[in-house]
Amino acid sequence: MSAPSTDIAVIGWAQTPMVRHTDKSETQLLMEAITDAIVPLGLTRADIDYTCLGSCDYITGQAFSFVSNLDAIGAWPPKRDSHVEMDGAWALYEAWLRLQEGDIEIAVVTGSGRSSTGDPALIYPMEMDPYFLAPLGADPLTFAALQARAVIAAGIADERSMAEVAVRARGGDVETLLAEEYLRQPLRRHDVPPITDGAAAMVLATGDRARRLVERPAYITGFDHRTECHNPSFRALDDSPSTRIAAESAGLSDAPVEVAELQAAFTHEELLLREVLGFGDEVFVNSSGGALRDNPIMATGLCRVGHAANHIFGGGSRALAHATSGPCLQQNLVCILEGRS
Amino acid sequence: MTRFIESTITFPYKRSLGPVVGAFMTALTEKQILGIRCQDAVLVPPMEWDPATGAELPHEFVEVGPAGTVESWTWVGTPSIQHPLDHSFAFAFIRLDGATTPLLHAVDAGTPQAMSEGMRVAPRWRGSREGRIDDIICFVRGEAAETEGEDTGGATDPVTRMDYLASITYRNPVPEAADRATEASREHRLLGLRCPTCGRVYAGGRGLCPVDAIELGPECEVDLPHTGTITNFAIVTPVQYPGQTETEPFVRAFVLLDGTDVIIPYSVVIELPADQVKVGLRVDAVWASPAEETEEGGGMGGSWGSLLGWIPNGEPDIDDPDLVNRIF
Repeated sequence: MSAPSTDIAVIGWAQTPMVRHTDKSETQLLMEAITDAIVPLGLTRADIDYTCLGSCDYITGQAFSFVSNLDAIGAWPPKRDSHVEMDGAWALYEAWLRLQEGDIEIAVVTGSGRSSTGDPALIYPMEMDPYFLAPLGADPLTFAALQARAVIAAGIADERSMAEVAVRARGGDVETLLAEEYLRQPLRRHDVPPITDGAAAMVLATGDRARRLVERPAYITGFDHRTECHNPSFRALDDSPSTRIAAESAGLSDAPVEVAELQAAFTHEELLLREVLGFGDEVFVNSSGGALRDNPIMATGLCRVGHAANHIFGGGSRALAHATSGPCLQQNLVCILEGRS
Repeated sequence: MTRFIESTITFPYKRSLGPVVGAFMTALTEKQILGIRCQDAVLVPPMEWDPATGAELPHEFVEVGPAGTVESWTWVGTPSIQHPLDHSFAFAFIRLDGATTPLLHAVDAGTPQAMSEGMRVAPRWRGSREGRIDDIICFVRGEAAETEGEDTGGATDPVTRMDYLASITYRNPVPEAADRATEASREHRLLGLRCPTCGRVYAGGRGLCPVDAIELGPECEVDLPHTGTITNFAIVTPVQYPGQTETEPFVRAFVLLDGTDVIIPYSVVIELPADQVKVGLRVDAVWASPAEETEEGGGMGGSWGSLLGWIPNGEPDIDDPDLVNRIF
């Protein structure tokens, strides 16, 4: 979708420390992230007109876990609140839609997940197609490996360029990495994301309110998300048409972006997304280290938008953030942020 | 040191298969693999709708395979408990003869060196088949399908349902406030936490004020009274589901503690038939004797610890229509 008539901007965000394993509950993580996001802006929880939280009961191991997460937003007097069982980037999309109604000015969105609560390798197969895939224990590493093979066969990546992506994200030496054993051929350990606990919170504001609160709001000028067929059997795994359509719709071709934050949990996904989005070396991709450095499931996508917003806060003109959900980049979201002089 | 508690949740799903997946599963019991025609293509596994357009597909099934060609594969060195084989194997996209799209399944090849794109494979069937994708144990090299164990034949009736047991083990941190509340219950104390900002008191070891969104530490602890009034209740008629232990109708009541604004929700009421529970009834806390102590605590569960529930204390009922007019 192109930009609405009302200006809507990211004005701040915060994330908890990203760790392999936290002793804190998801509610405690959110309380910390929300406080850290709003306090520097001079806002209190009473100033928040609308909240939308992204989290996943399957990861938390608790039905209606988002209800206890409401404790972190100070939901009294009663607030306008919503929840998505998706990454916080989709909570952001919903808040962006809600703010377009024009009757409220401040929204907070979050993404939160404690992946260490369960074993992701055993949980994710249960979220797959229940008839043909879940009974086989078809896991995310398997799908990533099959997609990597397709991307390599299409000439978009090879094992060396994948290792180079890992080195940019996490350091190390390409030759050493390539000497490692396969984890799930053609993937080695450096090609796969870490397991991370963490949460992020982001503050949105409309028009003049945004400009009063911060010197340089990161205006959302284009935002779209698209999905593909659920079963990777029916998809061309060396392409990501949903990313392409979302980016076109968000206005990527209108003007160049300086930086992009792509939710690429696997090294080959970054190379595929760069290809689909038509990025050459002029676009600085994933300077944050991306999902290969920290992968707090349900917050990873929202963090991409946050890092892209940081580029605008720091004086940049135009940045793209991408988030994804489902096996082999099934569903893709593109958000374009701009600064104004 | 934060304490963690491990719990396993199981979801025994019974899935309806519908006309297309059901036909596929029924055919599996006959050791046949069906695709569905979608314009010029044959989709395997079959879908009810065209993946490109969403248009409903006519139920024009096409038998494919049973042999096929490996289009892509990856090697699983260490299988999980969910995987079809207990030793290392390949997951592969297999394009069955006559199909346009690849089916994901396991290939029992021994070593990754034995795998290649273009390799010909055929199913290894389970002798006793239920109409599930894992009626095919895996695929093996070659053109000829095999059957493991005694072949008990196809299903006598169409397969319309599939059981799927999802089971996940979680390890969750227990908030320190919850442990302190449980500990106090061993001394038959009902612990509350008073928010320093708004003055509201919370019971049950919640550990934070949801109104002010701040954490409440030990310095916020207060002792709560052991008498109260039932403000509301429900009579639950148990439905039998896996894991249900109740067999008779039972009460869950909300108890307002004297001199406070604290409600103890979902409380057990002791020694009172369900049909005699009423709003306004005065009750006392009942605590487990040391002999009744269990690892799980009393009848209330969670951080209520040794609190077993509430018993009528013989005081006159309170006649206040506003009692019911609250939730927590």
